Amino acid sequence: MIASFGEVLILSTLVFMLGAVCAASRRNLIMILVGVEIMLNAAGIALVGASLRWNVLDGQVFVIFIMAFAAAEVSIGLALIVYSHKRTGSVNADNYSSLKG
Amino acid sequence: MKTILAFILLLPLAGACFQALFGRSVTRRTAEAAACTAVAGSFAFALAASLAAWQQSFTLSFFNWIAVDNFRVAADVFFDPLSAIMAVMVTFVSTLIHIYSVGYMREDADYSRYFCYLNLFVFSMLVITLSDNLVFLFVGWEGVGFCSYALIGFWYADEVRAAAGRKAFILTRIGDVAFGVAIGLFFVRFDNTAISFINAHATELTTGAATVFGFLLLWSAVGKSAQLPLVVWLPDAMAGPTPVSALIHAATMVTAGVYLVMRLFPVVMLSPAAMTAIAAVGIVTAIYAALSALGQKDLKRVLAYSTISQLGYMFLAVGAGDIIGSMSYLLSHAFFKSLLFLCAGCILQGLHEQGDIFKMGGLRKHMPAVFWLFLAGALSLGAIPPTGGFLNKDRLLVSLFVNPDPMFRFFWGAGLVATFLTGLYTFRLFFTVFAGVEGEAVRDVRPVPPIMVHTLWLLAVLALVAGYFNLSPEWGGGEWLARYLAPVQGAVVNVDAGTEIGWRIAAGDGLLAVLAFLTAYVLYGPAKLSSSERLVRFSDGLRGLLISGFYLDALYQVSIVRPYRFLAKVLWSQVDERGLDQGIAESGRAVAGIGQGIRSWTTGRLSTYLGMLFLGFAVLACGLAFSYYVGF
Repeated sequence: MIASFGEVLILSTLVFMLGAVCAASRRNLIMILVGVEIMLNAAGIALVGASLRWNVLDGQVFVIFIMAFAAAEVSIGLALIVYSHKRTGSVNADNYSSLKG
Repeated sequence: MKTILAFILLLPLAGACFQALFGRSVTRRTAEAAACTAVAGSFAFALAASLAAWQQSFTLSFFNWIAVDNFRVAADVFFDPLSAIMAVMVTFVSTLIHIYSVGYMREDADYSRYFCYLNLFVFSMLVITLSDNLVFLFVGWEGVGFCSYALIGFWYADEVRAAAGRKAFILTRIGDVAFGVAIGLFFVRFDNTAISFINAHATELTTGAATVFGFLLLWSAVGKSAQLPLVVWLPDAMAGPTPVSALIHAATMVTAGVYLVMRLFPVVMLSPAAMTAIAAVGIVTAIYAALSALGQKDLKRVLAYSTISQLGYMFLAVGAGDIIGSMSYLLSHAFFKSLLFLCAGCILQGLHEQGDIFKMGGLRKHMPAVFWLFLAGALSLGAIPPTGGFLNKDRLLVSLFVNPDPMFRFFWGAGLVATFLTGLYTFRLFFTVFAGVEGEAVRDVRPVPPIMVHTLWLLAVLALVAGYFNLSPEWGGGEWLARYLAPVQGAVVNVDAGTEIGWRIAAGDGLLAVLAFLTAYVLYGPAKLSSSERLVRFSDGLRGLLISGFYLDALYQVSIVRPYRFLAKVLWSQVDERGLDQGIAESGRAVAGIGQGIRSWTTGRLSTYLGMLFLGFAVLACGLAFSYYVGF
């Protein structure tokens, strides 16, 4: 393996941070969803790296599960966003403030 | 026996319940008849039971009331000769007062409330009389307190009368505190609150403990029996209907205190200090009230002070260790005092509630029957020989004289002074009301119903002859009362001073009483003296002091009521409103402020929540990493 396990983890962390910042700082619901997807994939990278490091296939199995789960999540998430857009005419997260105390 | 005793208690209670529930839905005659029948029935049963109690006593239990661990309160009855005499007296006098009340309250629309309280009053007093258990007795004790409050303030629409009711209630409560403490201490000391048990084991007490109990019982009796320093409620208790005054003074209320001390006499007896204190309270009160009575202008207030004074005599006798003398004086006092009060009721109704005796005079012509009845009562109260009042007072004074403690010789002398004063105020009252020129109040005398007058003949006879039940053998009597009461623990049947000295003492106090009669005749009797001239003679320097009862009311007003009001105001406006209320409001506001602060965290913005979530994870991850590398 060319890249060491430490490097894989650093990459995974960077990608996770990118996704987190994207999810936390963007106001657009679709962009928040994209941020969440990126975070999931960052976790996938870390799992693949760990699977290679210890030569156990469990990590890769998990990654396949995560991909299936992400697909499902995106389909439901997008459906929710479409419905919300229909209801309020906007995809700006700040407009959904009915939980405000 | 159990059934009979139960009926004594239950009949008045049933009567009270009947009045409370159905009194307004039956006719007036039925309600009146029910009230009288309840008490008269109770009297019949009491009489029957007292015959059975000759030379023996019964302890019967009706039901358990409280049972926690070894603290047991049961509705027990301890029927001994002392309570038998008391129960018969209470029910008899109450019966006559009930019948009299039918006439007295004939124009009052609120008769069913009146009879309800009256029956309840009798019931409560009978509980005191018969109860074996101190806690059960306390129920009756508080019951008479409540009933006296309700009846003194019976015409509650009048502010003054309602205040008199409150005053009686509060002052008697001060005494009840001591009784409560005494019950607690009795339980601590004996593990039992039954009177019969305590009396049987009284000798196990040390003198110190007996002194504590003696003083506590004295304190509780002082409140109930209106002795110094708690006298001031009784003169004001005149605000109630007159038959209620008669009931309070003769049968149901004020005698409870002295009866309690007699009932627990085996405990009190052990402490010479407590005995002397009881006698001292008695004699000081007797003289104080007799002097105050001399200054009064109101018919009923004279009688009220005379009750206080005569109760002082009863305490004096208990203090001298002579409970039979005290009990027989209590009996004859019950007869003549209820007689005098009921006569006063007739007079007041006849004179349109004009109570000032200096506006009366010459009433003899208008109310001849009441004149004779009142005379019988006055002779007995003034202890003129050979009335019942004289004989019983003589026995009481002899027992003071023969007491070995030299202090009691002094009390005897003071008792003679009080005898003279008693005669003086009694006949001052009698002459100003009945003799002399007609005063302004007598111009328009309203006839009173015959039922009010003719009920009283029986009382008059008893008032005159009550002393003969207890005539000592040297006078040719059988001492029936003393022999009946002989089984009571601590009773001294015969107080013998020796025939010679006995005669001298009797001659001494008899002469004093006659002298008082003559003095009153000279001062107030002359037929030519008009009422206004008498008023001048009356208004000497002492008047203010005497009429106010030595300014005792004013003293309490200044020393207790005013500081209390001031304290109440400070507590209310400064501590309660400013301190507590505002403090609670401020802390509430502070909590609300914190809530407002926390509320602003929930922005409703998704990104903030997510950011916080990541921050939390970051902190957790840092913590985990730290613990992994540093190793806890």
